[in-house]
Amino acid sequence: MTFNPMYLFYILVFPGFLFTSFAGLLLAGIDRKVLAHMQKRIGPPITQPFYDFMKLMGKETIVPDAAPKAVFLGAPVIGLISLFVTALLIPFAGLTPFYGIADIIVLIYLLTIPAVAIIIGGAASGSPFSGVGISREMVTIVSYELPLILVLLTVGKKAGMALTGGMTFSLIDISAYQAQNGMMITHWAMIPAAIAFLLIIPGEVGTQPFDVAEAETEICEGTMAEYSGAPLALFELSHSIKMFIMTALFTALFLQGWTTGIVALDAVIDLAICILLTIITMTLPHASAARLKVEWLFRFYWQIVAGLALISLILVWLGL
Amino acid sequence: MMQHFPVLAVMTLFLASFLVVLFGSRNKVARGVIAMTASTVPLVLMICLIKPVMIDGQIISYWMGNWEPVSGWAIGIGYEIDALSLFFGLIVALTIFLSCFYSLKYMSRDDTLEKYYVLFLMLSGAVLGLVLTGDLFNMFIMIEILTFAAVALTAFRNNEDGPLEAAFKYLVIGSIGSSLTLTGVILLYEQLHTLNMAQIGALLQKTGMNPTTAFAFGLLLTGFSIKAFIVPVHPVAADAYTSAPTSASMAMASMVNKTGVYGIIRLLYIIFMTMGLSSVQNLIVTIGTITMFLGVTMALNQHDFKRLLAFHSISQIGYVITAIGLGTALGLSGGLYHAMNHTLFKGMLFLCAGAVLYAAGTTNLDKLGGLAKKMPQTCIIFLIGAFSISGLPPFNGFVSKWLIYQATYEKAAQSGNFGFAIVTVIEVVVSVMTLASFIKVSQSVFFGELPPELENVKEAPLSMRIPMWIMAVLCIITGVLPGQVYSLLIQPAVNAVLSPVKYINAMMGSGYAEQFISAADAAPDKSVVLAGYWQPINWLILFVVLLAAFTIVALLGKNSRGAQSHSAEVTDGKYATFYSGEKSEYSMVGGSDMFWGLKYNLRHYFGFIGEMHSGVVNDYALWAVLIAAVYLVFSFVCLL
Repeated sequence: MTFNPMYLFYILVFPGFLFTSFAGLLLAGIDRKVLAHMQKRIGPPITQPFYDFMKLMGKETIVPDAAPKAVFLGAPVIGLISLFVTALLIPFAGLTPFYGIADIIVLIYLLTIPAVAIIIGGAASGSPFSGVGISREMVTIVSYELPLILVLLTVGKKAGMALTGGMTFSLIDISAYQAQNGMMITHWAMIPAAIAFLLIIPGEVGTQPFDVAEAETEICEGTMAEYSGAPLALFELSHSIKMFIMTALFTALFLQGWTTGIVALDAVIDLAICILLTIITMTLPHASAARLKVEWLFRFYWQIVAGLALISLILVWLGL
Repeated sequence: MMQHFPVLAVMTLFLASFLVVLFGSRNKVARGVIAMTASTVPLVLMICLIKPVMIDGQIISYWMGNWEPVSGWAIGIGYEIDALSLFFGLIVALTIFLSCFYSLKYMSRDDTLEKYYVLFLMLSGAVLGLVLTGDLFNMFIMIEILTFAAVALTAFRNNEDGPLEAAFKYLVIGSIGSSLTLTGVILLYEQLHTLNMAQIGALLQKTGMNPTTAFAFGLLLTGFSIKAFIVPVHPVAADAYTSAPTSASMAMASMVNKTGVYGIIRLLYIIFMTMGLSSVQNLIVTIGTITMFLGVTMALNQHDFKRLLAFHSISQIGYVITAIGLGTALGLSGGLYHAMNHTLFKGMLFLCAGAVLYAAGTTNLDKLGGLAKKMPQTCIIFLIGAFSISGLPPFNGFVSKWLIYQATYEKAAQSGNFGFAIVTVIEVVVSVMTLASFIKVSQSVFFGELPPELENVKEAPLSMRIPMWIMAVLCIITGVLPGQVYSLLIQPAVNAVLSPVKYINAMMGSGYAEQFISAADAAPDKSVVLAGYWQPINWLILFVVLLAAFTIVALLGKNSRGAQSHSAEVTDGKYATFYSGEKSEYSMVGGSDMFWGLKYNLRHYFGFIGEMHSGVVNDYALWAVLIAAVYLVFSFVCLL
């Protein structure tokens, strides 16, 4: 990678640091507003997550006596930065400044890092609530990882079969395929996989009804129990950014292949799609379903969602 | 000069094991000096060989006593070091060095240490000899020596409960493996009248498979599978790694099971050259997949740090076997890369377990906790190891697993076999479960609540931490610079595996192999095409840029409020852990109860595998016979 001054802009402003934070917090705000309306409340203003973030940043940071300080404070930072980097690797609005670094397998592993950061941070706090929280978080990861890999293999096979007759893990190839053959979702064999991915999004982000790991009403926010101040703000920000990343990833995998010719317009449309997906996949289930039990969550993902993804995988392998 | 290096390396180790008894039984310093010298020499010699073998592509052949082949027949014992042998030789030599270094302090609380070093050096010499030799019978001798040294090392702390039982199991299963190997060697000798592996490889191509050679194939494959501890002979490994002194467990997990992997590669790719057959591929991949899945699910069930690591060892070897069973250059690359990584991270994790055992006196996950503040360096090294083995970027486990996923799925796409797609999915799920069980370890050993009896635990001594740090740094290097590591070590080894003709000619004289093998067979596809991208350096640059930006923002935004210093002496409720009421009512989630949601749903499966591992050696012997039967039936049905 030769150095280009534009890279700093990409990393720090768009589609990196600033834009990702902004988009994430915006999605979180819209999520809260729409949810409130669904529940016949007025709800906070859309800018509320920004205020919350600012407020938490200014609060005192308490490190419990039982916690090793470096791990306790380092975990949220590493988790958040991994998310920023992940955001840079996902094609957004047809713009992929760093596509040569990673592929879809790398992406799902990069997405594991923030979850592991939460787990390690929670574990380091030494709280029994965190103990329960991390065990649940880990079960959640194991639950959604199976359908997720099935979906990605399906997409990789579908795109690779048309391009080279084999398979591909490259996001660029997947974009190229969609540019040639239309959006991935328009191929009917891919629809079960798309639905499966939509169901994975709330699990990966950890919103109700899949928020067993945080479950503030049962285990006091679980892994977050001992966090306060700036580290907690970073975790909240990570949570919001995950909303953006997962919806953007869905867009990249299933809804690409078109362009208006103007990057800014593309970005706005993509952001609108992300907002729509947030409402469909996170706000709606939140408003309409209660939190699942841990064992139900596991069964739901390994039976229903993985089943859907497997149907697609088999269909694609049959050449449909 | 160069061609003497391999045999010198092996000789040093065997010679030192006798010198340790002669001079080291009373004198502690002499013992340490002899052991350390003997374990350093092979590493230096192996590193010296990197240039000619890995970079220049030479194959070093060495005839013991200068017994060169007479009119095309090998009569003496030959050492042959191609890139594959050297690759494993480097892994082994590094393990010997680090394990010996670690044991100086770690074993200091035991007595009769000269016996430990005799056995350890015997084991080391045998393993190194096994990967460097070019003679099938010599290989068998080395297997014998290593098995008995490993058995005795397992039983070394025989004043405790487990070791004798574990050693007995290892002895029984190991003997079954050795005798089957010997039978296989005998049958091949009877058919082909030579013991040289290169010549056997060439002659087998001429004669083709007949029932006797097919029988020998099955027997040898069983023998090496038992050395690699694949399912269903794995329970022996779990017991042995748990009971042996940790420095010996580390040596066994890092290099002894690699001998099995090495043997399988030699057998399938060079000696029998059967890897091109899709039936063989299916067999090896199936066995590997079962091994990796069963290993990791058993690990989820464990309550003991070392036993959990042992089952992970089995699981990771499953990855390696699966990858080499694909029969493609990409698969081999992933498999060999993972074998190397496994040596690094699993050795390191065992050393961490040893440090915990040394400091806290137990490895029981239910009794440990909160050690991160007491042993910060061990904790960090453990986390590096845990992230490496779970395949989190940018650590080394990720690179090799990523290669393996690609290789498997590409194989699926090429062959149109949907089974390989399922194998890919299992690989990813196993990887996540690996992460899960290491989260469990980190929670129950290093984080969570510190039990009062561990209040006085101290960090492991420096001479134990140095080997751990060396491995940690190597884990990061091999993770961050995959391209360089690949072209220096992996690529030559893969090419060596895929060039049996070169291997044969180096030993038997040029032109020998071409008499038996047509040129078309001799040049399999060695090209490696990646289906994706992973450039950790660029990723790290991004990470660092963001970290820098982040730090600047954090420094600018830091206000005077909120920055309070807190001394540990003052007890302030604010800094205590939150228990919401009565502390006594709450307890940490025990190590064994960590994944209730997962275990509850899969309770029938977990119950089943729990019952299968009965701990009765009769059952395990039966399984060993069973796998032998499977291989034999397979050889007769598919190879003839």
